[in-house]
Amino acid sequence: MNNSVLIIGGGIAGIQAAIDSANMGFQVCLVEKSPSIGGRMAQLDKTFPTNDCAMCILAPKMIEAGQHANIKLLTYSEVLSVEGEVGKFKAKIKKKARSVDEEKCTGCGICIEKCPWKADSEFDAGMGKRKAIYVPFPQAIPNVPVIDREHCAYFLKGKCRACERFCEAGAINYDQEDEIIEVEAKAIILATGFDLYDPTPLREYGYGRIQNVITAMEYERLSSASGPTAGELKRPSDGKIVSDIAFIQCVGSRDVRSNRYCSSVCCMYGTKEAILAYEHRPGTKSTIFYIDLRAVGKRFQEYIQRAEDEYNITYIRGRPGNIELNRRNQNPTIWYEDTTTGETKSLEVELAILCQALIPPRDIQKTASILSIELDEYGFVKTPDGLSHPVDTTRAGILACGCVHSPKDIPDSVVQASAAAARAAEILSGGT
Amino acid sequence: MTLEDIIKETKTYYCLECGKCSSLCPISRHNPSYSPRLMLEKALTGFEGDLINDQELFSCLTCYNCSLKCPADVDYPLFMQKVRTLAFAQGRYGVPADSGILQSFMRLMLNPAIEQRRLEWLSDEYRISEKGNILFFVGCAPYFEFAFEDFEAGALNIAKDSLKILNTLGIEPMVLADEKCCGHDLLWTGDVESFRKLAEHNARIIKESGAKKIIFSCPEGYRTFKFDYPHYVDLDCELQHITEFLAENMGKGMLDFKEVKKKVTYQDPCRLGRHLGVYEQPRKLIEAIPGIELIEMEHTRDESICCGTSAWTNCDAYSKQIRTERLLEAKATGAEMLITACPKCQIHFRCAMVSKGEEKGPDVEMDVMDIVNLVASALEDNGSE
Repeated sequence: MNNSVLIIGGGIAGIQAAIDSANMGFQVCLVEKSPSIGGRMAQLDKTFPTNDCAMCILAPKMIEAGQHANIKLLTYSEVLSVEGEVGKFKAKIKKKARSVDEEKCTGCGICIEKCPWKADSEFDAGMGKRKAIYVPFPQAIPNVPVIDREHCAYFLKGKCRACERFCEAGAINYDQEDEIIEVEAKAIILATGFDLYDPTPLREYGYGRIQNVITAMEYERLSSASGPTAGELKRPSDGKIVSDIAFIQCVGSRDVRSNRYCSSVCCMYGTKEAILAYEHRPGTKSTIFYIDLRAVGKRFQEYIQRAEDEYNITYIRGRPGNIELNRRNQNPTIWYEDTTTGETKSLEVELAILCQALIPPRDIQKTASILSIELDEYGFVKTPDGLSHPVDTTRAGILACGCVHSPKDIPDSVVQASAAAARAAEILSGGT
Repeated sequence: MTLEDIIKETKTYYCLECGKCSSLCPISRHNPSYSPRLMLEKALTGFEGDLINDQELFSCLTCYNCSLKCPADVDYPLFMQKVRTLAFAQGRYGVPADSGILQSFMRLMLNPAIEQRRLEWLSDEYRISEKGNILFFVGCAPYFEFAFEDFEAGALNIAKDSLKILNTLGIEPMVLADEKCCGHDLLWTGDVESFRKLAEHNARIIKESGAKKIIFSCPEGYRTFKFDYPHYVDLDCELQHITEFLAENMGKGMLDFKEVKKKVTYQDPCRLGRHLGVYEQPRKLIEAIPGIELIEMEHTRDESICCGTSAWTNCDAYSKQIRTERLLEAKATGAEMLITACPKCQIHFRCAMVSKGEEKGPDVEMDVMDIVNLVASALEDNGSE
């Protein structure tokens, strides 16, 4: 295989960079570690500031990347090593065994239907279940299931084989092994995105202890029509549909005890999630606790204004101190200072949502060492010449875009992805 | 030290003015006119006069609930301590508890002409040494006994039982007759000059005693020696709270407890817990006593609630509300007894139970005991068996 650009990470940034490069006539190898491309954006219900359906924007791009003659997709795959230098990189990629033959599978889904074993769904942020043989979400590309060997009874106990029995295409292959693929590339674009801050260490907010305190990604899945509750905002403790909720900003960001940086998208996604609550159930009351409302993008401030005017959303300037549990009704009670008046008060709501920070991918150190690139003090990719070469990493020929560079929203990720593709084209055309 | 120095030292410059401190502050939750964030803002915006004359300057319990969770790592209690120093220099000291009689005792100790009869309680029952490596710092317990006549303060019993336990372990510590107050309360009231004199006196006599290790039953003394003395005096001794010392010895199989059938809960004193980080040893000790069931309160360890007064800078209706709520929380566990590890927590909780005035509040009656007394009672008679 002789591809010219290797793109690592199949989220919106990686997909955009792949499409741009491919449309410029370059050969692209797009490597994604999970079973489908799509990334974080696929998990989102809507996007700000237009409330567009995330999947409606993403799915056509996923299909384009999946069908493009110049793009080779390697999903469920990981880069093991990269050798060489700009213009002649050689990468070893492990294509993990899906236990399903991609050529034979028709994507009918009978295997999933018949599989009796369940595990927590990563796509639903643990709020729902998936089968041991699964595609992460209905629009997955490729639409080929994988067997999660850690939860499959056949792999664990040697019994079951239900999927094999029902698969008319004969695509199930329990003996499939990991494959090592070598790829040549003149440039590499890193777009492995982000992980989400786990708020458990901030014990004052009760995450993990108070059932009706959830993270923003968990909320995102609850509010999504493709989520575990089919879009009904049912809270975890008793399944009650909520109509009085609160969002807490800067959970795991702007805090010396976790991350000092501003996570940049939380004020906006919190607002979007509050708007969605109202759209799901008109009349729903949302309160957003913030320190500084950062609405710096195009039409963002107007979005906030609409949230206040049309969606029954109240913004309170103050970072809450802690959340306590009302044992009678399982409601979280949020203690805060309204810093505009100096009063310390409490607010009881039915559901509290922690707007968790975006953090570097948990395996970023490994990635950085494979690529021999440097990271910044927070673990995001270092781009030393931020003004004139904003997507260049510390190693020539390796570029970065999207949230692996720093937390940013979808439009900014797409812009940066296009920038990385253009920069790669410059290298591929013999420039430096 | 100027206000600007204080701002630098306590990292107030980094304040995000987010109000997390205020929302965690036990005082702010009851007293609508007190906001730690606003105090810092006054300093940052240069209103030094307003800050020093603020009627709430002495309200802060310095309990560290705010600072431990501060996203900018501002040391608010230290900020308070230092700003109070500026205020004290201008003759301001708030409205101290019990009309300031306790601070008066402490200042009286500065007068070399007044001879203390500090160890009059020490009977032959207790074995102490004239010379040795280990010193037991008694603290102000004998004074507390006198100041709180209207209810049993119990502070002296803590000192007595501490000696009893040490004796059981075969330790005969030194106890100094001319020991003086550690200065904790004066430091936190802003009287840094008196504090310095007390510190110098104690450091001098301890050095002369030749002690290598000091054991405290009072977390305030321990904190003061550990964090504050090094800025004023030169004293090189190992310091330990008695719970740390006992937990260490328990591991060596030195303590043989008899059964005490009781459900108890434990109050983390601010100084021992959030200031010094000692959470586990007291629990380890309590749970080592057979028959004891330890039930934690809703707010526990670093989230524990203060007993409502610190350094006796202030004791008002809000203090009483805080300790009433805390006692109700302790009772809600179903425990028969509240164990604490600070003589002042014990005094404050017992005080809250003494009905004052016409208005009858909720029933907060509950046995309160220091951990030292509990351990001593579990050791009784075991020595002769």
